[in-house]
Amino acid sequence: MRLSVVASWVESPLKHFVDDARVEIAVLLHPSGQVLGQYGFARSIDVMTACALASAIHASSSELGRQLEGKPFSALHYTGKDRQIFLGAIPAQGVTLLLLAVFDRESSLGLVQLFLEEFKTRVAAAAPPVAPDQPAALAQDFERDLNRNLAQLFGRA
Amino acid sequence: MPRTFSHITDSLIRHRGVLGAMIVGIDDGMIVVSTLQIGVNGNAFAALSASLYRKARRSAAAAGFGATGFLELAAEQGRLCAAGAEELVIIVVCEQRVNLGMLRVELLRSVEQLP
Repeated sequence: MRLSVVASWVESPLKHFVDDARVEIAVLLHPSGQVLGQYGFARSIDVMTACALASAIHASSSELGRQLEGKPFSALHYTGKDRQIFLGAIPAQGVTLLLLAVFDRESSLGLVQLFLEEFKTRVAAAAPPVAPDQPAALAQDFERDLNRNLAQLFGRA
Repeated sequence: MPRTFSHITDSLIRHRGVLGAMIVGIDDGMIVVSTLQIGVNGNAFAALSASLYRKARRSAAAAGFGATGFLELAAEQGRLCAAGAEELVIIVVCEQRVNLGMLRVELLRSVEQLP
């Protein structure tokens, strides 16, 4: 399975996380749904779908956290019959990214949480600072950027 | 009153040379209850030890040895001992000087109290 990234700084932290936590799928994305790097998916449409759903889940759970505790929940875990999903917030140079991880019995929630902390440290060290004049994530060219990122990931850029 | 397992870890930590005792979910690697001395990173230890126990259990089953009873990992400066039931595993981290025989007996007795 191939690890592919849009930004080069994502590669090392994501590779370490996948290798250590033994997850089947890992996607680092912007909360708007823009993918930054992925491991485990073979088709761009699957990445697009996963990112859109992860983004929506994060928005919902964040708002639920605000309603209940006055602040967004930092992580979400769902256990299925064979696979589990973990969605965690990753602070990176003033912005919050999302890590979507899918794992089976080869890994565990404890392992994912353990190596998530290392992942956060690596991302914080590697992520470039956000420029003050950077456009909003949901700008008019969102779709164009999304397609460009997916094309980069799957070698069609 | 809900049933807890803290009496198990409280009893195990009293052994000379035991640095920490915890009951951990085998599948998720999360701590159910723990009694740890200062300096033991419980969450990391639980996640990695549960993973080790899970794999040891699968290895034993694959080799046709049946269920895993007692697992001991001897390292340069300490030991990890584990014994598990269906869903939970008791994990003890201890120094080399621990009385392994006593600890093993108590671990195996304690496992009988787990679901």
